[in-house]
Amino acid sequence: MLRNTKKEWLIAYILIAPFVAIYALIFVYPTIDMFFLSFQDAPLVGAGDFVGIENYERLPRDRRFGTAFWNTAYFVALTVIPGTFVALAISMAVTRLSGRTQALVLALFFLPYILPVSVVFRIWDWALNFQFGIAMHVLDAFGMDRIPVFKTTTWFMPAVAFVTIWWTCGFSVLLFLAGLRAIPQEIYEAAALDNTSRWRMFRHVTWPLLWPITGLVLTIQLILQLKIFDQVYLFSQGGRPNDNLVMVYYIFQRAFVNNQGGRAAAIAVVLFIMVIVISVINFQLTRLSERRK
Amino acid sequence: MKKFIAIAAAAMVGAAAQAQETVVWWDFLGGGDGVRMKQMIADFNDAHAGEIVIDGTTLDWGVPFYTKVQTSVAVGEAPDIMTYHASRIPLAVDQGLLQELTPADFDAMGLGQDDFAPSIWDAVSADGKQYGVPIDTHPIVLYYNKDILGEAGLLTDDGLPVGLGSRAEFTATLQALKDNSDVTFPLGSVTADGNFMFRTIYSLMGQQDGELMTDGAFLVGDNATKLENALAVLQEWTNEGLQSTYTDYPATVALFTSGEAVMMINGVWEVPTMVDLEAEGNLFEWGAVELPVIFDHASTYSDSHVFAIPEGNDMSPEKRAAVLEVMSWISKNSLFWATAGHIPANNNITAMDAYKAMEPNATYSSLTANMIYDPKTPMAGVAGPIFDVMSTYFVPTLNGEMEPSEAVEEIIYELNDM
Repeated sequence: MLRNTKKEWLIAYILIAPFVAIYALIFVYPTIDMFFLSFQDAPLVGAGDFVGIENYERLPRDRRFGTAFWNTAYFVALTVIPGTFVALAISMAVTRLSGRTQALVLALFFLPYILPVSVVFRIWDWALNFQFGIAMHVLDAFGMDRIPVFKTTTWFMPAVAFVTIWWTCGFSVLLFLAGLRAIPQEIYEAAALDNTSRWRMFRHVTWPLLWPITGLVLTIQLILQLKIFDQVYLFSQGGRPNDNLVMVYYIFQRAFVNNQGGRAAAIAVVLFIMVIVISVINFQLTRLSERRK
Repeated sequence: MKKFIAIAAAAMVGAAAQAQETVVWWDFLGGGDGVRMKQMIADFNDAHAGEIVIDGTTLDWGVPFYTKVQTSVAVGEAPDIMTYHASRIPLAVDQGLLQELTPADFDAMGLGQDDFAPSIWDAVSADGKQYGVPIDTHPIVLYYNKDILGEAGLLTDDGLPVGLGSRAEFTATLQALKDNSDVTFPLGSVTADGNFMFRTIYSLMGQQDGELMTDGAFLVGDNATKLENALAVLQEWTNEGLQSTYTDYPATVALFTSGEAVMMINGVWEVPTMVDLEAEGNLFEWGAVELPVIFDHASTYSDSHVFAIPEGNDMSPEKRAAVLEVMSWISKNSLFWATAGHIPANNNITAMDAYKAMEPNATYSSLTANMIYDPKTPMAGVAGPIFDVMSTYFVPTLNGEMEPSEAVEEIIYELNDM
């Protein structure tokens, strides 16, 4: 049958048109506008005067930008790889269970993921509050000094990273479980017949065959954690927000608290470029290591 | 005929319903004082049944509130009336957020310059125009637990804590409380929240006649030393174990109300919290008094709650008249607002015998002579830029992580870098 390619093209265009229109309106246009805004001394709402690259120029000597940059990097380091390994470990354990037990345990690990961030904040703030938190009574019982977890810069990021892993690893566990189930059972049987040790089985069967999933989880986590905001904002309220700034928080602060839309846009552009560069590097690295196998 | 009357009556009710103006109201009064304000709104609605009804919403205090005001004005979705802080009026005028209240508006409200203290009237003025109707002044005070102080022999005959006259005496009182082994914290202090501590530290600067801003420059001359002195006192109390460390706002109130902290420096807006707990039989004998004189003379930081009409809504003349009536009525009935701990801004209210007899307001009302306000600049104000910069360095200093001198250097650097 002869196909009317012209007509097919037309239908295709019509079908994707709504998506393209909405995507252009709520993503492409604001992004382009953000670039323009970053060269102006604009307030939060409305236009400003063109000031060249002044908004960018002041970033390297802007202390809060430095704080936000390094805190974000620290947070990514604390969550992305550790979070992925925790999820992998949990899914390896869960996959050995079966039937209802597996469903129950899986549900328990997934439960935190369905909580809204405000509830997560309430739970952990209540547990770790310096004066009234239940965890502090545990420390007291062991005769240890109490730790003002969310009030010191030493503990803040590790604690928020821990809470984040607790909160979000359920989703990664699901991805890993799907990956583990996709590995053909025959390979394990063959390995078992050859008397392979558990570690070698993991190292030479599970790990390489699971790599596409691991790479995916790492990429998702990386992009997600670079954009960290909610938890940091909530846990630092009524405390010391400026010591615990992360990139998105700093954008929010410049734009909404200090009414400096232009400077906020410049930081947003920097974050935008960071996310793109890091994602591309991450993607290439994942592909490279895949090919080497 | 009966049918006709019924129709006529229905039409009249309908007309009345149409004439009723709904005033959309935003406030940030989430504490014990918010309960009092909701009562006042209900009373207003009862008194104006069929004419005006207030549709009130309470939003999160501070940055979230002011962020929402900015964006709502920008998109034309602002409320008809909102509460505001007098300290933020210069910034708000700069941002074009507020409508001017003309002399004609004040005539319509039956209020004017003579009804308010000069400092408060000045706080709502910018470039010779008025942008708000002051409701109150709300300073910080020293709350104290009479039961524990009494047992320790640290109450005067007037029922006030011993040692309010000087730094050495007050520190001695705190030390005596610490030596009394039952006491966890002599002073409950919001040491984890630099924003809150701005009030205490600015008061201590005021006690040395320190200025934050002189002719547009920050901490000129020996003002830096005065800030350092203020920080040093508070750090000393931390180092000696006299005050609670890393304590956030709710925890501080909880430490005091549970009796774990004997005294607490906090805003008068916590008065209703104490009153209500006491009424339920869940609180000790308590009092509130003007801050101790740590340096040269008494001085207390204060701010005012103000009613303002935001830009970004096209209100009809009838609606505007209704909004003015709301402001006028609340101002003239603000005796009840004094039960929220605040000092009413309307002079006619504070002159009433009923107000003068009100406790604990009467105990701390001496401080009205010693109140200081934020510098008048768009940089100042609750949750504003100066507040934000200074608070960053207060937390590490007050908890002994940073030396006061270093904190002052950092504050000056960052204030000049805004």
